[in-house]
Amino acid sequence: MNTAELKQLANHLRMVAVDMVYKGKDGHPGPALSIADIMTVLYFDKMRIDPENPDWEDRDRLVLSKGHACPIYYAALSERGYFGEKVTDFKLRALKSRFQGHPVMNKTKGVDMTSGSLGNGIAIASGMAIAGKYKKKDYYVYSIVGDGELQEGICWEGINTAAAHKLDNLIVFVDKNGWQSGGSVEDTIGTNNVRERFEAFNWHTQEIDGHDIDAVKQAIDEAKKVTNKPSVIVCNCVKGKGLSFMEDDNAWHKGVPSDEQYQMALKELGGIQ
Amino acid sequence: MANFKGTREAFAQAMIDAAEKDNSIMFISPDSLKAMRATKFAELYPDAYIEVGIAEQGAVDTAAGIAACGLKPVVGTYAGFLTMRACEQMRTFVAYPNLNVTFVGINSGLLGGEREGVTHQFYEDLGILSNIPNFTIFTPADAAQTYHAVRAALALDGPVYVRAGSGRENDIFDLATPFSMEGITVLKEYGKDMLLLSSGFVLDRVLKAAKDLEAEGIHVTVADINILYGKNPQKILEVISGFEQIVTVEDHNVNGGMGAYISKLVCENEPKKVTRIGLTSFGESGPAKELADYYGFSPENISNVVRGSLK
Repeated sequence: MNTAELKQLANHLRMVAVDMVYKGKDGHPGPALSIADIMTVLYFDKMRIDPENPDWEDRDRLVLSKGHACPIYYAALSERGYFGEKVTDFKLRALKSRFQGHPVMNKTKGVDMTSGSLGNGIAIASGMAIAGKYKKKDYYVYSIVGDGELQEGICWEGINTAAAHKLDNLIVFVDKNGWQSGGSVEDTIGTNNVRERFEAFNWHTQEIDGHDIDAVKQAIDEAKKVTNKPSVIVCNCVKGKGLSFMEDDNAWHKGVPSDEQYQMALKELGGIQ
Repeated sequence: MANFKGTREAFAQAMIDAAEKDNSIMFISPDSLKAMRATKFAELYPDAYIEVGIAEQGAVDTAAGIAACGLKPVVGTYAGFLTMRACEQMRTFVAYPNLNVTFVGINSGLLGGEREGVTHQFYEDLGILSNIPNFTIFTPADAAQTYHAVRAALALDGPVYVRAGSGRENDIFDLATPFSMEGITVLKEYGKDMLLLSSGFVLDRVLKAAKDLEAEGIHVTVADINILYGKNPQKILEVISGFEQIVTVEDHNVNGGMGAYISKLVCENEPKKVTRIGLTSFGESGPAKELADYYGFSPENISNVVRGSLK
C-alpha cells in the first residue's frame, strides 16, 4: 500500500472505531484516533503477521499499553482479517462480546497481550523481546504508550530493563498528544519532556509527527537499524485526530458521539464502507 | 539431586534440576538471586537468568511477556514484595491470561522474617492470592517438600504460587516423599479426638503438640495441608469427615489462609467446629523461634487450644 492508501485506510479505521463507540454507547474515541496512523503503519505495512495464524511463534507482537485506545486496535485487526469477515457490529463493551472494554488476549484473536491497566506495557513488551532473544527469533515487539501513562512508575522499571538487556528488538511508540484523563499532561505533572527522559535511560530516540505516515514508516526502519539499544519513537499526535469536533478536545477522552456528530464523522472520514 | 538445606536452597536445586531437561525455564530476578540462593542456577544457565533490578512489578510484567511467548519464567523473591507490591501484575497480566508463571515467595510468615521485623515478614500472601482466580497455591512444609513443590509447579499449566520460608525450617518429610497433589497428607494418627491441621513450616510444632497431648490421653490426628483452594479437595473432605472437631495451625493471618479455607470446606460440606490458630496482628523483630512461641505457635499453646476446644 502506498502512502495515500495508508492514509485513507487510517481514516477508515478511525471511522470504524467511532462507529463501534457510537453503537456500543461507550469507549475512548479521542485516544483511539490519536494512534490511528501508527496502528495503520504497523498492521498494514510493517508488522510481520499472519491473521490466519495469530499465534505464529515468529510473528511480530504489539502490546497496546494504553489499552483504552482499543477501538482502533479492534478496527485494525478486523480490517486485517483476524476475524474472517470484517466485523460490522463489534458490540464493544457488551456482555459476552469478544471486544472487551480493554484488550484481552484470550478473548480476541490477534491481541498479543492483555492490557489496559496503565504503565505495564513496556515491561511486558520487554519480556517478549527477552523471550525473542532467548529463543533466537528475529521478531520485533512493538508497544504503544501514552505520554500521560509515563507517570506510572512501572513504566520506568520496564524502560530500565529494556536498556539493561539491550533489547534492540523492542520499539516503543509514545503517543504524545499532551492530554490525559484529567487534563493536560503539563498541568498535571509539569514537564512532558518524553524524549529527554528516554535518552537519559540510554534508549535510542526519535521524535516525529505521529500522523505523518511516511515519517512513522521511516522511523521504524531507522529503529530497526539500531543495535544494542531499545528504541522509542516519540510521536507528536493530536488527540481525536481526524474529526473536527474531537481534535485536541479532551472532553473526548471518553465519550459517545451524538447522532449528529456521528453523521459529521461519516462525512469527514469518508463513510463506513 | 544434590543436598540442600532449607527452602531457599531447595528452590534453587529444583530450578537447576528442572532446567537440566527443560530449557524453557527461566529465572526472573528483582535483585533476588542471592536471596533465592540461585547463584549457581545463574552460573549454569546464564541466558535463562534475567535480572531486572529492585523492581518487583517489572519482574512480574517481564515474566508475563516471556510466558506469553511460550517460555516458563519463575519469579522468586520476598513473598510480600510479590503478592503486595506486584499484586496487580500477578492478577491482571498473569492470572487473568492464565499464563505459565511460577512465583516463589520467601520469608513467608513470622518464622520467615526473623529479626527483620514486619517489613520483611509476610502473613497476608495466601489471603491475597486466594481471591485471584486461576492461581494454584502450594504451601510446602519443609525444604524437601519445597523442592517437590517447585518441580510440581513447573510441570503445571497456569500460574502457581509456592510459599517458601527463610531457610531455617525444620525437616519433616523424607526427600523421597512427593508433593501430594491431593492437598493433604496424614502424618500421625494417635486417635480421633481432634484433627490437627498444619500448613507450612509450623508442622514440627504441631507434631510436638500432638505427641504431648497423646502423653496426657488426648488422641489427635495430624495432617499437613499443602494446597489451598485447590480444584480437587476430595481427599481433604474425606479426612475431615472422620472427626467432630478441627484445629488449624498456620503461620499466616487467620483470615484468608488455610484455616479460612478449611472453614469454608467444612461449612459448605459438613459443618463442625473449627478453631484457627494463626496471626491476628502484625509481628515484630526477634529470633524466629521466640517469635513463633510468643505469637501462639508454641507446642504448649497449640495443646492448650486443643484442650480448650474439647471442653
